[in-house]
Parts: sequence; C-alpha cells; structure tokens
Amino acid sequence: MNERRNKLVSILLNNMPMLLFVLLLIAFGAIAPESLQYQNIENAFKQASYIGIVAIGMTFVLLTGGIDLSVGSNMYVSAVIAGLAMQRYSVGAGPALLLCLVVGAVFGTINAIAVTKLRILPFVATLAMMVSGRGVGLMFSKSRAVAFPDPVTGLGSAELFSLLPYPIVIFALVVGGAALLLHRTQLGRQIYALGYDKEVARKAGINADRVQAAAYILCGLFAALGGFVSVVQLGNVNAGFGKGDEFDAIAAAVLGGVSLFGGVGRVFPGVVLGAVFIQAISIGLVSAQVDLYLHPLITAAVIFSAVLADSLRNTYLKKLSRRNIRLEV
Amino acid sequence: MRKARTGFLTVALALTLLIGGCNRQDEEPGQITICFAFQDLETEYWVAAHKAITETLRARNIKVLERNAHQDANRQFEQIRDAIAQDVDGIIMIPQDGESALTIIGEANQAGIPIGVFNRPPADKSKPALVVVADNEKIAEEAVAYMAKAASELNRKMTPLILVGDLGDQNSIERRDGFYRAVNAHPELFKKPIEVPTKWDAATTLANLEAALQVTPEVDFIFTSSDFLYPQIKAVLEPLGRWKPKGDPDHVVLGGVDGDSTAYRLMKEGYVDATGVQDLFFEANAIMDALVEAIKSGQRTPEKWIQDPGFALTQENMPQRAMDMWGCRILHEEQSNEAR
Repeated sequence: MNERRNKLVSILLNNMPMLLFVLLLIAFGAIAPESLQYQNIENAFKQASYIGIVAIGMTFVLLTGGIDLSVGSNMYVSAVIAGLAMQRYSVGAGPALLLCLVVGAVFGTINAIAVTKLRILPFVATLAMMVSGRGVGLMFSKSRAVAFPDPVTGLGSAELFSLLPYPIVIFALVVGGAALLLHRTQLGRQIYALGYDKEVARKAGINADRVQAAAYILCGLFAALGGFVSVVQLGNVNAGFGKGDEFDAIAAAVLGGVSLFGGVGRVFPGVVLGAVFIQAISIGLVSAQVDLYLHPLITAAVIFSAVLADSLRNTYLKKLSRRNIRLEV
Repeated sequence: MRKARTGFLTVALALTLLIGGCNRQDEEPGQITICFAFQDLETEYWVAAHKAITETLRARNIKVLERNAHQDANRQFEQIRDAIAQDVDGIIMIPQDGESALTIIGEANQAGIPIGVFNRPPADKSKPALVVVADNEKIAEEAVAYMAKAASELNRKMTPLILVGDLGDQNSIERRDGFYRAVNAHPELFKKPIEVPTKWDAATTLANLEAALQVTPEVDFIFTSSDFLYPQIKAVLEPLGRWKPKGDPDHVVLGGVDGDSTAYRLMKEGYVDATGVQDLFFEANAIMDALVEAIKSGQRTPEKWIQDPGFALTQENMPQRAMDMWGCRILHEEQSNEAR
C-alpha cells in the first residue's frame, strides 16, 4: 500500500511542470472561461514559440553548467542584419534566414572561444557580448526600426495546412531536433555528463572544451532563429528588440526543471511547458482583465510558487529514492 | 595566456588615458561643455530628439559629452556623477523614470551644476531643475476626442481598448489619464475600456493585444500610448481582416501619441484617425536655450518648467498641420536626401 502511494506521489512529482501548467489553466479558466478557448491556447504556444526556441538553446548551455546572457543581443544583431539585407539588397526570405543563423552562430562561436580558450567565466564573457552585441546592432540600425517585408511578416500569421501557425511548427521542429540531439546522440550524452560532473567527464575521456563550445554555438544558433521567428510575428525590429529576453529564456528553462548547476533537465516537456507557462500567465491576466498594477505581483507569485514546488519536489524525490534500511531486532 | 591578458589590459589602459588626455586638450578655452545623458535610443522619438539636441549644441560650438544609460537608472546616475567630476558646465538628461530623475537632480544641485530634464519629468517639483515636458494628458485627450468624434459617426456603441505604456513612466500614466478623460466624456458612445499592458515592449504588446482581441473580438476603437507600436497593432488586426482604412465597414478607429513617421504614413493611408503630437523641435530648443542662458548668467540651480502644448493631428487638420509633426518633417528630409 505504502509502496503504491509512493509510486503515485513519485509520478505526480516527476510531472510537476505539466501539473502546474494544468493548475494554471484551471485557475484562469475559472476566472475567465474565454481564456481556455482553443484559439487562446494556440496563441499562448505561438507567442511562446520564439522564447521557447531561445530557451532550448539556453538549455544546452545550462546543462553544461554555463550561462549565456548574450542571447537577447544576439537576437537583435542577427535580426537587424537579416532585415537590412532584405531591405537594401533585396535578399529573399530564405537567404536572409540563413544569414541570420550564420550571424547567430558567429555570436555563439565568439562566446565559445571566450569561455573555452580564454578561460573567461561564462557569466562575464557573455555579459560582455551582451553589451557589445547590442552596440554592434545599434551601429548597423542607427537605432531605427528595421522593417521586414510583408511577404516575410505574413509567415507570422500563416498556418501550415490551415491548421498550425508556422511559429509553432518551427518550435515543434526545434523541440524534436533538440530532444533527439540530447538523448540519442553522443554529443547530447556528453553535454549531460559534463554538466553533472566536469572532472569525471574529463577522466572518462570527454573533450570538455569541444562539448562546451558546441553548446554555446548551438545556443547562438537557436537565439538567432528565435529572433527571426519573433520578427516575422512583430513586423519590425526596434532598438529594444530582445532586451530582457535572456532572463525570460533562463526563467523558462528553470521553470521547466533545468538545473542552473548543470546536468539536469529535459527539453520536452520541461522547457516547452516552462516557456508556455510564462506566456500563459500574461495572456490569462489580460483575458481576465486584472488590474494592470497587479500583473507583476501575480506573475512573480506564480513563478515563485512554481520554482518552490519544483525545489520541494526534488527534495521529496531524493527522500523517496533513498534506500530504507530496517534494523532487525 | 596570462601574459597576453596582462599585456592586453595594459595597452587598453594606456589607450584610454591617451584618449582622455587628447579630449581635454581638444577643449577650446572658454568653451561650454554640456553632458547629454539619455536613457536609450529605443524609439524614433528618442533618436530624433538625440539628433536635434546634439547637432544644435555642436552648431553652437558647445562641447557635448554623450552618455547612454541603456535603460539603467543606476548607470545613468553614475554617468552623471562622472560628468560632474569632470566639471561640466551643465547637464541635459532624459531620465529612465521620474524617481531616478529626482535623485540625479539632487546630485547636480549639490554640485552646483545646472541641469535640464528633457521630456520625462521628475516625480515631483521638490528639487530645482529646468524641465521641458509635453502636456501628455491634454495631447492624448485631444487625439481621443477626435477619435470619439469619428466613432460617433458610425452610430453604434464602441468597445475601446488602450495599450498602456510602462506603469513606471509618468508620461504613460498621463496619456492613460487623457484617454479616460475623453472616453468618460461620452458614456453614451463607449462601453467599459479594456486595458492592455505593453511595458513599452513590442513582443509583450503583440501577445497581450492578440489575447485581448481573442476574448473581446468586438473591440473597434484602439488607442496606443506610443506610435511605435503600430506595426504590432497591424500584425494583430491584419490576419483578422480588420486592418482597413477609414471608410471601410471593418475599419477600427485608431489613434496614438508621439507623432512619428509611421503614424504620419498610416494617417496618409487612412488607417490612423488621429495622433497626439509632441513638438520635439520646440522641446529640444527650449531646454537648450534655458540651460545655456542659466550657464551664461551663472545660475547654479535654475528652476523652470516649460510646457510643450503639443496638438492632435487629425484626418481633418492634416492638410494644414502635417508639417508641424516631427515625424512628417523627418520623413520629408529623408526623402529629399534620398532624391539627392
């Protein structure tokens, strides 16, 4: 009986992100039933898609025990360069996306070199890239908004087979690709191993620098893709674009169960739900027409409760998995 | 590796000192030095204000120390303390918010350096400063009053929505007050307004506006607290088939505040009904004139509040007043530069 109860508790706790998400939906559904309409839930996923993509990139870095504060600036620079290429040189959407990804990868490579070769702390190296990257972007844009052409921004609201908006499709592809990479490839396993215990991973023959560099480059690539997905929805890139998104991406990953100390966390369902969770709070508050001054308080309270529940979960799960040694008298 | 890093830092330090020394030598004797500290260059309004202020000051042979705080009030405070330590003659500031403005004014007052605040007023008048600010409430009210007039011709009860700016920004609160004043003057015309937070952020605006229109699809009257959010309004309305110009039965009565070039273009195309215009050039000249006069007359803590009355550009008065709108003038300047 006790064992069955423990098993049930363990299943519930292991699916805490999903449980919290359902609880949030029920709470907002009770306050504003309209927020549970299919279209609203689809909107939550669509609006969360870009931050979700960035959060997945961030997950690679967090899993190695690092951090990347430059993703917001990366989004801005890569989107500005792609936008200007389309505006001034009539580059098509495909090559512009490619250019955007190349810029993102370059950004990630610089971070990787700073962390793995120059041995600068990830926090400091990426903070410097955050500041200098924004400066480079502003230099290109002259602080002006860079508009994407209508056929490109049309993709933001277009749907695949009149069923799913493209941002969600891209998000789903990224989630699938990242999950495969992390759980079915050597690199993925090495990323987990490195984050779990760097020294042990090294002794096991893992090239730590190479794995860490790969994580930063992937993070840069996903940040640029996330930026592009966001701009096709927004219509233009203004000077504030991407600012603060690094914290949303970290929050989404942590809410989804990714440890800031590395080695623990899953892209699906964890990070996906983390990203949608943050968006759903905002949409729920707007749908319920809650007083604007209460928005930050409620958002902070919900996020705090989610992280607290996650922390309690970890403690309880550790307790459950401990071996019971009974003394025979 | 350590040697290379030490070498790099030494060279960087030497270059910084060298450049700093050159700057001091560049200063002509008797030349006025003004620190221009701005919070960021996020929107077209701030870019245009920055251009107007720096170019005019340099044209008057005034040395300008530019400092960008990148939306960090603490950084701006440190930048201004640094400028005070460099013994500047005056300070022009675009603060991050009203509270931090007050702290910085106090610091300048203590050092006896005259300070001017551009467009974003301090939280209260407890510390002396030169302040130029648009009458945001009146400008917003005028724009919404015209929108209400346009709406009354549709002979139906309207569902208004306001995109509220950052709640820590006094300008945003005043624009919201102006909106409510105009809407509350016509209880027979409007249902209860829907408030949508934007935090002055495009992505937040898009997500929240989309959610609000999903729950209340009958919204047919939208007021944005800043013109820079029009692309996001278009991104939400267009897929719903409601991004239509004036005269179309699906037209959403639309208006805002600022007066940028996007608003002007959209007014010309008939999508926007009215926009409250801040007179950017008046504000820039007023703050510069007041500060230079204070410096020349030796005033250390001058105090004056200058109000930019602004105006509402509407579909009705556009032929006469378009060129008073800074966004329109900038657009014309750019077009003539391109033609050249």
